[in-house]
Amino acid sequence: MTHRPRILLVDDEVAIQRAVGPLLRARGYELDVAGTGAEALKAFSSLPPDLIILDLGLPDLEGTEVCRQIRLQSPVPIVVLSARGAEADKVNALDLGADDYVTKPFGPEELLARIRVALRRVQSADESEKGQLKAGDLTIDYDRRRVLRGETEIRLTPKEFELLSFLARNHDRVLTHRIILKEIWGSTAVEQPEHLWTLVAQLRKKIEPDAANPRYVLSEPWVGYRFVSETS
Amino acid sequence: MLPSHLRLPIEPRCLAVHAVGGQCLLDLGSTFPLGASPAYDGAVEHQGGSRDVTIGTVGTAAIAVVIAVLRTLQRAPNPTIAALLLLLVILVTATAVRIRVAIAVSVIATLAFNFFLLPPFYTLTLADPQNWVALFVFLVVAVIASQLSAAVRSRAQEAVGRRDELARLFDLSRDVLVITDSHEAISILARSLARRFDLEFVALALPRDHNWDVFEGGARTLALDTRELSAAFAAAQASLEFDAHAGTYAGHRTVTIEGLTVRLVPLRVGTKPTGILAAAGRPVEPGTLDTLAGVVAIAIERAHFLEERKQAELTRQSEALKTTLLASLGHDLRTPLTAIRVAATNVKAPWMTESARVEQSDLILAEAERLTRLFQNILEMARIDAGPIATESRLVHPSEIIAAARSQVEQTLHAHPLDVHIDTDVPVRVDPRLTATAVAHLLENAAQYAPAGTVINVSAGVSNDELRITVHDHGPGIDPADLPHLFERFYRGAAAKTRASGTGMGLWIARGLLAAEQGHIWAENRLDGAEFTIAVPALVTNVPRSVTTSHDTPATHTPR
Repeated sequence: MTHRPRILLVDDEVAIQRAVGPLLRARGYELDVAGTGAEALKAFSSLPPDLIILDLGLPDLEGTEVCRQIRLQSPVPIVVLSARGAEADKVNALDLGADDYVTKPFGPEELLARIRVALRRVQSADESEKGQLKAGDLTIDYDRRRVLRGETEIRLTPKEFELLSFLARNHDRVLTHRIILKEIWGSTAVEQPEHLWTLVAQLRKKIEPDAANPRYVLSEPWVGYRFVSETS
Repeated sequence: MLPSHLRLPIEPRCLAVHAVGGQCLLDLGSTFPLGASPAYDGAVEHQGGSRDVTIGTVGTAAIAVVIAVLRTLQRAPNPTIAALLLLLVILVTATAVRIRVAIAVSVIATLAFNFFLLPPFYTLTLADPQNWVALFVFLVVAVIASQLSAAVRSRAQEAVGRRDELARLFDLSRDVLVITDSHEAISILARSLARRFDLEFVALALPRDHNWDVFEGGARTLALDTRELSAAFAAAQASLEFDAHAGTYAGHRTVTIEGLTVRLVPLRVGTKPTGILAAAGRPVEPGTLDTLAGVVAIAIERAHFLEERKQAELTRQSEALKTTLLASLGHDLRTPLTAIRVAATNVKAPWMTESARVEQSDLILAEAERLTRLFQNILEMARIDAGPIATESRLVHPSEIIAAARSQVEQTLHAHPLDVHIDTDVPVRVDPRLTATAVAHLLENAAQYAPAGTVINVSAGVSNDELRITVHDHGPGIDPADLPHLFERFYRGAAAKTRASGTGMGLWIARGLLAAEQGHIWAENRLDGAEFTIAVPALVTNVPRSVTTSHDTPATHTPR
């Protein structure tokens, strides 16, 4: 890393600020803190961070609204802090372009892991516009529309390849059912997740070493899917 | 009076009478068969008897006058004119009297016609055989005319009776409609039934499992035999037979209890029997009884529906409460738990400086305190929900209550300086625990809504045997739209909904605790913030404080 990544923590709970703040600083991140949506937007435009941790329950603005406004300006990774039971808000934020989420109450390792993955994704995107992605023993060649396991080519149908390349280009990000359906089948299909379930099952049979315990295409229950580029 | 066999209450007889007399009455134990309305009650009927005789006598006299006049004017009067004049007298008489009297007058007129006006005069024999025919025709016409006018009369009476019963039914239906209390509904129904129909005894018997729920109304109470009820109900279930002549469903039964004839009528919704109506006292027509049973059955159904709806509403409310509780608990548990988890990891981390470690452990303590407070709130809420709270009054100085309240919410108050002003020096007799907890909730509320750093004014005073404590913050005040709902459970002001802290429990708990003390709580907007006041009834003693606190009176439990 060339510089210390700057993180903007947006949460109105002083207790969270007081606990998470020292944690992130100690792990080498620069930290800005905002207690309201307005403060967050102000901090974002005055000193753009490398990543935003955004609590969805803010006193002034809806967290999802903050998410939408930031997405209009920048592709900066956004990790959403959500409450269990507020699934709708969480999915909404992801639909609006948030990258990932952590459910309260969370442990420090969980949050740090999400931050690492999100930052890595941005970095790898910076380095590579080279047209292919290596994940484990899987190579996805976007230009030639080929997928290899080791040296062996895996034959995918056009739809399967479309799904895999969409997931892989957004690797380590949670993509909601709605976003995927819209991308692969168009906006008329967003209410028909059964297409997606079938296609994911087919894809897993072909690319996963063990389709019952997938390591590349992971399900985020009730939310969507995530392509994991590196196994921890 | 009607012939005595009319009073037999069994339908087949009744039917026979119906065919003959054009009227069928059921006797429910009364001696007066024509009892559709009070207007036809006994006294009137007695008068009716003697009145008939008088009118009959007048009619007879009129006949005598007619004959005398005819005999005076002509030696041998024209029998046709004589017969027509006599018929006129009979018709006029018959419109006013009963059929028996009318027929008697007809017979007298026939005999007099023969005796005085048909030759040979002054004998009952007739010279011309044709006159026998004339005399016979006269008699028949007279009797038919009497019958017709008597029938008209009794129909008119019947109509009055029906109108009266309709009016009673209408009143009853109105009673039924205004019953909204599902719990008492059936008892109220039995009472209105007795009142509206002037019945001595009314009971509504509803089968439940193998027993009968009996709701009584009326002046008398009778012990109904449940075997009779069961038998009547079983019969009603077994068969449904409409008696077209009587205009009633068959299946009415009579039983005699303590000398009173009680009529048992099945209650039916549609054709399905749902219970038994027992009635005794004033006679009511069987058709009316059936209608009555129908109205009652529908009213009972309605009461059941009301009860079910109430239950459903209660269930819905408690479901809604549960949902709100879970949502609010969810948030209030999650934040401190997250902070504690992260801070506890931070404390263990080797890279922490000593001062950072202290700061993290302070954070853990503060958040644990917040959880404790939440836990207390839940307990207090459960306590209020569980029923009446026992109060434990003792002598206490107001300053102690405020100090206790303050210590309960010390953590929340750290950013708000408190300005306490105590306007009294006398001890008061209240439940210090409940009062202090209520004040603590007010302080917590003020601290949550007023900006950090603003002063919270607390004042206490005693007036009219009442302890008043006021908490005045310098925050934004209460939105007028929120004011009516302020003390509702889980209600959070529109502006507060997105705020992190606050569960909407505090003010509701304060209200609940004060209610146990017969106290009051209210909120007002002042120019510079919101003001909450509590008032607790307190026995004020003028004993100096130094004496009382060292001799605390033993605690007394006053369960309410």
